[in-house]
Amino acid sequence: MVENTGKTVRADTYKPVNAPAALQVEEDALGLPLTVKLKRREAVISIEDRWRIDDEWWRAEPVSRLYYNVLLASGQRLVLYKDLVGGGWYEQEY
Amino acid sequence: MTIEHMFYIIYLPMKILCVRLSHFPWRCEIRKNPALADRPAIVIQAKDTVSSQKLVLDWSPELQGLARDMPLQQALARHDNAELIPSDIPYYRSVFKEILDNLEQVSPLVEGSDLGCVYIGADGLQLIYPNDSALINAAREVTADFMPQMGIAGNKFLASLAAQQSKPDDCKILWGDAAAFLKDLPCDVLPISLKSRSKLRDFGIRKLGQVAAMSPGPLQSQFGLEGKRIWELAQGIDNTPLYPRFMEEVIEESVTLPSVTVSMDAIVTSAESVLLHILPDIVRRGLGIRNLTLWTRTWNAENWERDINFKEPAMDSKNIISRLKRVLEDYPQPGPVEQVGIKVNRLGYTLGRQRNLFADIRAQEHLVDDIKQLELKLGNPQIYKVKEVEPWSRIPERRYALTPTSR
Repeated sequence: MVENTGKTVRADTYKPVNAPAALQVEEDALGLPLTVKLKRREAVISIEDRWRIDDEWWRAEPVSRLYYNVLLASGQRLVLYKDLVGGGWYEQEY
Repeated sequence: MTIEHMFYIIYLPMKILCVRLSHFPWRCEIRKNPALADRPAIVIQAKDTVSSQKLVLDWSPELQGLARDMPLQQALARHDNAELIPSDIPYYRSVFKEILDNLEQVSPLVEGSDLGCVYIGADGLQLIYPNDSALINAAREVTADFMPQMGIAGNKFLASLAAQQSKPDDCKILWGDAAAFLKDLPCDVLPISLKSRSKLRDFGIRKLGQVAAMSPGPLQSQFGLEGKRIWELAQGIDNTPLYPRFMEEVIEESVTLPSVTVSMDAIVTSAESVLLHILPDIVRRGLGIRNLTLWTRTWNAENWERDINFKEPAMDSKNIISRLKRVLEDYPQPGPVEQVGIKVNRLGYTLGRQRNLFADIRAQEHLVDDIKQLELKLGNPQIYKVKEVEPWSRIPERRYALTPTSR
């Protein structure tokens, strides 16, 4: 019998690339991002693009996100999304 | 990692104890979820991996008018209030294996034929079990949760019939005049092909007594080789040998995916990861894989599995992975997959292995060795490589994954 190596293959040995990172975002009355807290709080000057994805609706935790490509006051561009299921904001390259 | 058993043939035993565990899949489900015991339930399985049709596998004993492999619609027409449970064959097998292991403590000659039917060679056990009831009690003790029906007779066919006729948790012992016992039984009890069974019906032969009254010649001319067997069985003669389990090493590992997927790449990557976890230990011992079972479990608890044989013991992960990939592509999954596993059933020694002389390949091996060393020192895993998982996915984090370089 082969001795157990002691190592088990676990789901966490896979690491997703480009996992979303939680972000503090201040919203306006319409739910659009007003300011974003990176190292410091920065105002959103313009929303360059906006798109929505709905997927895995058959699962207990469906994916429903509203993505924004925004331009910050510092000149930095950022892709962030609002999780329409959980309500949180996340930063993620698309 | 588990030890499982294969078969070898013994022709001698003349006293067989048959233990039938009726409604075995349903009782296994009760073991998983005791609350089911009070509710009418039907255990269902997919007809095949392609169609979505469901068939009845088992049911709670109080439900009448059901049969194995009956289409689910028909079953529901009879019992529309029954709870439907998807079958979990790997679990039933593991429970059955556990039962066989326990029965092996009763007698060393144990054959697990179908799920829920066990034949035990009971010859030469007189010093341990002075009489039949001591043997029956010992077998009952280890199968008590499954309400065993037991039968003792001089061969497997008679022992099985005796078990079928005994009450749950009881035993029928059949010695002496087998013909008298068999003559009024329907021909449907014969373990023969469906074609022969329906042919017997077409000839108006319904009872074993009618078959026994015939001479073997006409039966043989109509049914060929099986005709002889039909005649012998009707006389109570069964020369089928007992196939006791044979200890053989089995290695099994699986991985649960981070999310359910239908992506072939994700499934192949997982299978590869499991294989690369199992293989080094085997190769280190100078062995290769002769036979493995690749299995998956879908999010709605359906199971898919395929046996893969290797002509020569396989030690090269690339060859094995390409076989796994081909099988996964050829046989579609019944649904989105959430668990992938490999069971290595048979190992073998290779006759010769040619090492690669080219330095760049050696360099790759050295690199993997160094990474493994690093993992040993610092804990695993340390270095990852990016693999495409679902590059087409609309969800960015599903597109690529980091997998440990050393696996």
